[in-house]
Amino acid sequence: MSPSARRKVLVLALGNADRGDDGIGALVAAKLVDRLPPDVTLLARAGDMLSLIEDWAGFDAAVCVDAAAPQHAAGRICRIDLASDELPHAPSAASSHAFGFAEAIALARTLGRAPRDIIVYAIEGLEFEPGAPLTYDVAAAADDAADQIIAEVQALRAPARTTGC
Amino acid sequence: MATRTIAVDLLARVEGEGALDLTISDGRVASAALRIFEPPRFFEALLRGRGYMETPDLVARICGICPIAYQMSAVQAIENAFGVTVDGQLRALRRLIYCGEWIESHALHVVMLHAPDFLGFPDAIRMAERHGDRVRDALTLKKAGNELMRALGGREIHPVNVRPGGFYRVPGRAELASLADNLKRARDIAVDLVRWVATFPFPAFERDYEFVALRHSSEYPISEGRLVSNRGLDIAIADYESEFEERQVAHSTALHSLIKRRGAYVVGPLARFALNFDRLSAPVQALAREAGLGAVCNNPFRSIVVRAIEIVYACEEALRLIAGYEPPAAAAVPIAPRAGVGFGCTEAPRGICWHRYDFAADGSIGKARIVPPTSQNQPSIEADLAAMAATVLDQPDDVIRDRCERSIRNYDPCISCSAHFLKLSVNRA
Repeated sequence: MSPSARRKVLVLALGNADRGDDGIGALVAAKLVDRLPPDVTLLARAGDMLSLIEDWAGFDAAVCVDAAAPQHAAGRICRIDLASDELPHAPSAASSHAFGFAEAIALARTLGRAPRDIIVYAIEGLEFEPGAPLTYDVAAAADDAADQIIAEVQALRAPARTTGC
Repeated sequence: MATRTIAVDLLARVEGEGALDLTISDGRVASAALRIFEPPRFFEALLRGRGYMETPDLVARICGICPIAYQMSAVQAIENAFGVTVDGQLRALRRLIYCGEWIESHALHVVMLHAPDFLGFPDAIRMAERHGDRVRDALTLKKAGNELMRALGGREIHPVNVRPGGFYRVPGRAELASLADNLKRARDIAVDLVRWVATFPFPAFERDYEFVALRHSSEYPISEGRLVSNRGLDIAIADYESEFEERQVAHSTALHSLIKRRGAYVVGPLARFALNFDRLSAPVQALAREAGLGAVCNNPFRSIVVRAIEIVYACEEALRLIAGYEPPAAAAVPIAPRAGVGFGCTEAPRGICWHRYDFAADGSIGKARIVPPTSQNQPSIEADLAAMAATVLDQPDDVIRDRCERSIRNYDPCISCSAHFLKLSVNRA
């Protein structure tokens, strides 16, 4: 396959590395350095969700990795394909502080700036205290998440999407 | 006695979390309260004992939208205390990064938070379905502001390159010149934005405000000046405490600021504009007139037009500063601590941000006092709420609620910044 025929893929790691398990995105990003094909872009973002709309521009597909609120088990990796599933989001018209990842995706889609395919890897966290390190089970999930994302990226780069849920 | 209570438990499209309580009794507004319930953050206590070199990075954390305002007021106060003057290109670079903050903060508020009020949309996402180009424009403006913040501050949120005496690193000419094309595009977008928001339907509502802003001998106020008002106030920033006071109120973790002799006042775009119209360039003044503004605007709903005007000004000023930039010989002037008190006051996007620090001889902070803009506007916001509600008392609750929420958003309140501290009284039997 010629490089020009491949779809443009972005890997986006989200979260604040200074807030406990919210740093799992940054850790996964660190494990992906030098392991992704050269035509794949890897970005880590910690703050302004509106900026994501600019980050996504021009990409055919995005794989996003972020921490998720505790629900079942710390470190559990949940793959969400936004073609068929939705992310939980804040009530409409909430404070600007509640403008999060789901709202950024909704706005980007409305503006026609969202990648056609968006796959989210949500890793359940346990502790999110400022200054705290990653908890053991969450940090232990980073290698597995990185391996899954590398496989996801390979599938997404192909001209015809072949991945399923 | 007939009493109606209208409550908004969580204000939408503001920076942070707050609420509104309005009580109508016997056909009159009995009370209007902007409740700020974000927990106090104790920044002033946290600063005690910390060194002067740490201060800009610590105070930047007060706000993710206007960190430069806190950094610039802090370094000004530090330099004031230690007898250091930062001028020439270092001063110009500080003004330039401040322009970036004005552009990104105002663009966010004008289009994403405020415009939906006038067009009947619940939020910017719904508004984007009909006005996608305007939202794209806002993102372009925000990006241009962020690029300035990143070039001079190292990153756009909580910048890390500002230090007492100047910067840790200054950019080369080419580095800044590369930003000019996007800023020119941003300026053109901002001019269109002024013309667009000027067409919005504005309620016929005016109040006789006391406006307070900085005033400089030649510049539209951003980074320095004397404190002036339209009722005769004209003082050095060091005299702030003799004219202004802060009071605790039970319903807010933000202190209420008042002029001691007169009470509530307004800071921010309306105040800067009213007190410094003559400091805007002739083309920007002409644009303001074209947009229906006189030299003074007393209608808070029209603050959206003034903010858009200030985006145009900030883009023009940034382009002027970049065109005249010559890298300074050093990124910072030498600074040595000494015991003393220093004052700083600059114009955050939402209004004056006043700082005072008491330093020990080693440059550690003994006492810190920070007065953010939103706490200064809070008494005026509540007066607006009462006055606005009085004009629609015969309307259903949802109409009153809508008009009151809009009255609050006129001020672009940054609630997280304003949350301060609450005095705790313990009564034991």
